[in-house]
Amino acid sequence: MSASEELAFSPTSVKAAYASGVHRLAVALTVSVFPLIWVGGLVTTYDAGMAVPDWPGTYGENMFAYQAWLFGPFDLMVEHGHRLLGSLSGLLCVGLVVAAYLRDERSWFRKWSVFVLAAVIAQGILGGVRVLLDERTAAMIHGCTGPLFFAIATATAVMSSRWWFERNRKHLSDHENESGAVGQYATGRFIALTASVLAVTSYCQLIVGAQLRHTTGAVSPNEFKGFVHLHLGLAALVFLVALVLTVSVVAASRTPKQVRRVSLLLAIMVLCQIGLGIGTWLVNYALPWAELNATLAAYTIAAKGYWESMVVTAHQATGSLIISLATVTSMRAWRSRASLGN
Amino acid sequence: MSFRSNLRIDPSNPLLTIWLAVILLISGLFGCDSVGDRFESNRIFAKRWELTESIDLREPLADSEVVLTEFFGSPDEPKWPKFLNVGEGKLVSLQNLQRAAGAFSSGEQGEHKGLFREHCVVCHGVNGNGRGPSSALLTPYPRDFRLGKIKFKSTPIGHKPTKDDLKQILHRGIAGTSMPSFSTLDPEDIEALVEYVIYLSIRGELERKLIRDAAIELDLEGGERLYDLDSKEKYPEEFADVRGRIKGWAVDLQESWFEAEDKIVDVVGPPEGFPLVGNGDDPEAIAVSVANGKKLFQGTTASCAFCHGSEAKGDGQTHNYDEWTREWTVMAGLNPKDKKSLAPMFELGALKPTNIFPRNLTMGVFHGGSSPEELYTRIVNGIEGTGMPAAPLRPANSQGLTNEEVWDLVNYLRSFLPAEEQSLVSQETKSDSCSEEDASK
Repeated sequence: MSASEELAFSPTSVKAAYASGVHRLAVALTVSVFPLIWVGGLVTTYDAGMAVPDWPGTYGENMFAYQAWLFGPFDLMVEHGHRLLGSLSGLLCVGLVVAAYLRDERSWFRKWSVFVLAAVIAQGILGGVRVLLDERTAAMIHGCTGPLFFAIATATAVMSSRWWFERNRKHLSDHENESGAVGQYATGRFIALTASVLAVTSYCQLIVGAQLRHTTGAVSPNEFKGFVHLHLGLAALVFLVALVLTVSVVAASRTPKQVRRVSLLLAIMVLCQIGLGIGTWLVNYALPWAELNATLAAYTIAAKGYWESMVVTAHQATGSLIISLATVTSMRAWRSRASLGN
Repeated sequence: MSFRSNLRIDPSNPLLTIWLAVILLISGLFGCDSVGDRFESNRIFAKRWELTESIDLREPLADSEVVLTEFFGSPDEPKWPKFLNVGEGKLVSLQNLQRAAGAFSSGEQGEHKGLFREHCVVCHGVNGNGRGPSSALLTPYPRDFRLGKIKFKSTPIGHKPTKDDLKQILHRGIAGTSMPSFSTLDPEDIEALVEYVIYLSIRGELERKLIRDAAIELDLEGGERLYDLDSKEKYPEEFADVRGRIKGWAVDLQESWFEAEDKIVDVVGPPEGFPLVGNGDDPEAIAVSVANGKKLFQGTTASCAFCHGSEAKGDGQTHNYDEWTREWTVMAGLNPKDKKSLAPMFELGALKPTNIFPRNLTMGVFHGGSSPEELYTRIVNGIEGTGMPAAPLRPANSQGLTNEEVWDLVNYLRSFLPAEEQSLVSQETKSDSCSEEDASK
């Protein structure tokens, strides 16, 4: 650790280092990315990726000056809306960099904020490349890197939070000495490790899901079947890891509430996601044993119907949310573990 | 697009280079999505003839691809031969084919292109072979259009469906299966999809004719070719003969689609005063008709119970296979249950044969529609490609069903419908009658 970084982590500098403006911008960025992912999901669901065939302009106009999207067809609205939301996230990233250089004393965080800006630009370019090349594989990659950026934004919000600063080792010791609660709150290594595994597994699961979602006629039935089985296998693994994490967190009474609450929310999201996954298959392909149940037997899939589209998009967006929550849990778990010098 | 061409990717941008490298890497891992260059040949059908005739059909298969590409183009650039656009008007317009083919996109006014790839390819495959990516996991398997057979239609077995039959299927979807309803699509989009399905069907049937002809008629060992472009200049007359013969087959196939309109089986309504389920008729009279229908269902004339079971629960015989499966198994002398013997077919992409299960009719869900007329049509026409035959009818068959008996069967089937779906009295009629009652009071 360099001298300046040591300084940044010293007890006296802790309160000075926390910059509420930076944190607010990071939170705003994270909050802006979730609807961006939702609308991006709608773009895929409605096959609207080529509703605007040029980039970065829109039908030859400056994208910010283009107005027809509000009154045009739905495809155009979601695609152009996705681009505008992306621009909003980009502007927030610019603000984050400026704020970090002005207010945050940690040099590594400043560099990180530049990385966040670079990531959002890269994601935007990738979206543009998808349009310019009219390439479905590029769309799939863009769809996979989107949640990755969501996780990056989430991590930025965590690392800029007051709690992150207060978990500084020495400060914590002082604080807990004062309150007489030394060693009362700490996250075990197993929990931190499990949360990290969950984040990685969830992301792998999302990549496999993207293969299914962006399937083209070039994919053979056996390949598709393989991806479905892999997706189911990974779903079981994600469920298992989430279960282990939840049980561990509940059983370990010393786990800080900041880790406990997020991990419980994560468990709920994983359960919802399993339901949405079943729903996604049902509204896309119907269940193979439909005639066992009169309601299923009578259900006709509506191509691009409202509920069908919402279920599929929600499944994709919840996948991103799970990765984001797992990132928060993991980072807080490692942070609160490290803070006690374990 | 004109403005797209104005935008050039700057190769000096390192960030862009990195991302392009990532794209190429993942494209390499998962494959590119280019599917539009050519249609995949019907190698399974060729293999069937190779097995039964002990011949090598690789060269004829390549020849057939040449002629089919010449006539019908590619998935990205479809063609409709000019010689098919004569006489009875247009079965298929090139404009609609171009609307349905290619990669999908949508314009500023909401007009969609690439409709087949947007809506159908994942299940039915690029060439309509019923082996799209998701096909192996679906029950039943998606339809292979290349046999020219459609299950739910207004024409008898052995005849093509009408365009309206296809539109009806697209509009309604098929409940309980992966076939969705496309009722939200514009009528022009539905029309384009219907014509594209006909295009794939005619192309696929012509391909089958070419392969069969090569297997049976040609002296392949003697060097005879199915379609040899090199002979065009050397032997122009012979080449013209061959080409003319193939064009004739295509014309015949188109003709079979034109004929469908003339083959529609009219629904002969029930006799005057005949009670119908849901028509507000005397409940006792309906009960008698339903009971008659049940007897006929279980009897030997209609013979429904043989497959559907005596209580219509779909638990009769379950060992049959549909024609789409039989043609590359049983017809090739292969046992659909013997996986080893089917190995060469699996290598070519054939899906594991599955039995065709008779429907559990007590669910009250009828894939071909639940109106009295639709059920009547299913009974008297049968269902193409499945084990469901057309019921024998009088007077053509002295042992067959009378018209009244067919309607008894319709009543029996409709008795399984949920109460709210049985009613044939429209809300408008109901409200009219209520108003009349109010007025009389």
